[in-house]
Amino acid sequence: MVIRESGRGNEIKLLVLAGLYLAAGAAAAYLWAGGDPRPYVIGASAPALAFLLAAFLFQALRFKADPFLLPVVAVLSYTSLIMLYRINQFYAVRQFIWVLAGLTLMFLTTRLFTNYRRLSDYKYIYGLMGAVALIIPIFFGTEEGGAKSWLNFGAFHLQPSEFVKILVVLFLASFMSENRMVLARDTVTVRGISLPGPRSWGPLLGMWGISLLLLVFQRDLGTALIYFGTFLAMVYVATARMLYIGVGLVLFMGGGTFSYFLFGHVRQRVDIWLLNPYNFIDLGDRAYNQAYQIVQSLFAIGAGGLTGTGLGGGYPLFIPAVHTDFIFSAITEEMGLLGGVGIIILYVFFIFRGFKIALESRDDFSKLLAAGLTALMGFQSFTIIAGVTKLLPLTGVTLPFISYGGSSLLANFIILGMLMNISHEANTHE
Amino acid sequence: MNDNIRKLAYFLIAIFAVLVVYLGYLNVVVGPKLSTDPHNRRLAAAEKGMTRGTIYDRQDVVLAEDRVVKGVKKRVYPFGPDTAHLLGFVSQRYGRTGVESTFDSYLLALDDAGKIQALVDRVLGRPRYGYDITLSVDSRLQKKAASLLAGRSGAVVALDPRTGAVLAVSSAPSFDPETVEDVVRTEKVNKNGKLAEVNITGYDVLKGQTDSAPLLNRASRGIYPPGSTFKVITGAALLESKPELLNSKKVCQGSITVDGFVLKDTGVHGNVDFNSAMAVSCNTYFAGQALDLGEENLKKAARSFGFSPIGYDAGGRIRGDYPVQGGEIPFNPGTMPSGGIGGAELASTAIGQGRTLVSPFQMALVAAGVANGGAIMRPYTLERVTGRNGRAIYKKPGPEVYANAVSAQTARLLADAMEQCVKRGTGAQASVPGVRVAGKTGSAQNPHGQTHAWFIGFAPAENPAIAVAVVVENAGGGGNVAAPVARELMRLYLKK
Repeated sequence: MVIRESGRGNEIKLLVLAGLYLAAGAAAAYLWAGGDPRPYVIGASAPALAFLLAAFLFQALRFKADPFLLPVVAVLSYTSLIMLYRINQFYAVRQFIWVLAGLTLMFLTTRLFTNYRRLSDYKYIYGLMGAVALIIPIFFGTEEGGAKSWLNFGAFHLQPSEFVKILVVLFLASFMSENRMVLARDTVTVRGISLPGPRSWGPLLGMWGISLLLLVFQRDLGTALIYFGTFLAMVYVATARMLYIGVGLVLFMGGGTFSYFLFGHVRQRVDIWLLNPYNFIDLGDRAYNQAYQIVQSLFAIGAGGLTGTGLGGGYPLFIPAVHTDFIFSAITEEMGLLGGVGIIILYVFFIFRGFKIALESRDDFSKLLAAGLTALMGFQSFTIIAGVTKLLPLTGVTLPFISYGGSSLLANFIILGMLMNISHEANTHE
Repeated sequence: MNDNIRKLAYFLIAIFAVLVVYLGYLNVVVGPKLSTDPHNRRLAAAEKGMTRGTIYDRQDVVLAEDRVVKGVKKRVYPFGPDTAHLLGFVSQRYGRTGVESTFDSYLLALDDAGKIQALVDRVLGRPRYGYDITLSVDSRLQKKAASLLAGRSGAVVALDPRTGAVLAVSSAPSFDPETVEDVVRTEKVNKNGKLAEVNITGYDVLKGQTDSAPLLNRASRGIYPPGSTFKVITGAALLESKPELLNSKKVCQGSITVDGFVLKDTGVHGNVDFNSAMAVSCNTYFAGQALDLGEENLKKAARSFGFSPIGYDAGGRIRGDYPVQGGEIPFNPGTMPSGGIGGAELASTAIGQGRTLVSPFQMALVAAGVANGGAIMRPYTLERVTGRNGRAIYKKPGPEVYANAVSAQTARLLADAMEQCVKRGTGAQASVPGVRVAGKTGSAQNPHGQTHAWFIGFAPAENPAIAVAVVVENAGGGGNVAAPVARELMRLYLKK
């Protein structure tokens, strides 16, 4: 098999390989769990065929998007289905539906927003929409896993912040591409030191406010971190002014310190993070119970070794919330260090392609949008993997495309669609 | 703008690279430690579906194995209480202790090869087995030590001074490791106004006996004043800095006065040289010489035998945690005050009655160091690990030096003096016919009654094969009580 970078045909070839991966996973699950073989066949073939169908449609419609993004996402989604099936079949069935829905949504995104640049005209409208969507859960939301960021619709729960993150990036891309020159030059000199002027402070403080809003009212530390990180990344791309980053970081540290002393749940997370990292033997019972989740996660990762216990051979169910935030620990337990690093490499590859799209785009809005969405994806996957491995304090966010959850999956598929649109646009005018 | 995007991309890729390195560290370096953490429920879960490895002694005698008794898998310890502290126990409720916990990853085959084997076995529906381990321990010595200590509180540690192999670790009183989970009786307890029946297990009963503390491994974690056995270390300090002492004599008048504090001796020993002072355990001689030698030299000698300096707060309590020396058998090293101790305490420290505290394990290492020409070998228990099919998983590499306590010259002189102690001094009851035995007795004063009886020694003196430390709590003099215990153990081991 020859893989040439330019060819769209690669997409189909790679998706066939990804399909084999899913088939192997389904076969392993069947060997392990047994029962009626038909659900396994359907569970594996439907997503594989759906991804292939999308690729064929792109081919037929002469859609010139990057051919590597879809296969990477396919492998991540397949890993999700396999792991969720192993953890709890109920979640796997629902995730199966969400993957198909997400794929449809991605396809619709590439059809309806092919001319995505028009979106920049309505920035204040969806800026407002985003703000409202974020505020609603504060009043009508329900609490899950310590974060009050969910809307309960009976049959399913919706987490607006997952979708708002796209609106935020869109808004920032529009705003910054329009005001880039102002942002880069607007300077007040105070005693010989150049500082950003008042017009730049506006969005900076606004974004900081939104992050704090998330943090304070929804108690969603992880999402706040990701929003703000993405914002700083976009500011940097737009202006290259480290000063903004410096001021931003100082503001964030301030907010972080503030919330450490003000909010019990934040303090608890940080305290757990600071615990004697690997000597749980010496941990008192109280400290052990507080750190229970992260300790279980580390036990799972440690149990994996290099090669893992094999699918079904580990005990990932000892970790609370293993199907959402902690799914990476389960993967590392059963697929080992090699599996865990494999997943990380897939994210790095996604990021690599995302930034490549940003580089190849020819207008500021597209560049900022692609870079922003990619940074968002990067920060989110980094935050949660670093959290469950105790490299950083644990913050409850989903692992893109892998964690169980409809809101997150649909939002990520929309991001994928947007990136493909930008890529198509860049490649069309070559 | 492209330049900025590139830099951002580099940044993101860099943090992911950090993540990969960290994950590798976590998985490969920290992983094995996490796998055997007693909090880890995976251990108990893995155990359910497999046969835990068998533990053998140095003559391939079974010390612990899984047996099916009336259809239920049970961990059986043929030597029962005699090996309880050494081997520990495995319990869902009360965790895992001793060798069973230390070598859990072998006994449950948790290494990478074992994981692959587990996968294959599961797919093929074959029964699963952990690895068997062979210890350096001698079950005959374990049994003998337990019977010698029977009815008393105390501990025995025996080592091979040439290799550091642990031959016996015994602590009394002991317990039956097979019955810790058994329900002994039920008690009615008032819980939130309601009377509830609570099962009292063997473990609960043992835990409740705080005076005799049968669960405590006195051999490695019991701490006692060393009494006159510490004179071996004082002697080492003297010979290292003033070898000429060997031939000079001092007059013992039955007591010595330091800063107005009178230190009584066991008798009036008259004119004594180094060897006879060691033989009759003359307090006056060692206290007086230590005062001439100075505090620093004595502390230095103790440190070189593996002692830890520790701080005390104003109330006389230890600052921080009591030190523990990790390893296959974690033990409390000997301790001495880190600050200045002054003349009176220096004199009493020199004869083992200051604030200095030791574990029997530490004193066995002291004896082993003198026996082995000054080099204390790193203590170990695990000789080899064998897979189900006889495949060698692990074999103890060659001996390793744990501490260079004294020079070979000093060790030889100390050994001579200790031999005199057994030949014509307080250690006479340790002598074994036809074998040159070296040793030192101790009778450590303590606030709980009679002195603790101590004996440390080794044999044969010309080519030591066994070093022992014995302590019997509140039982009287070391020469009458502890020395005979050591004698029986050395006799049994050297008879072959």
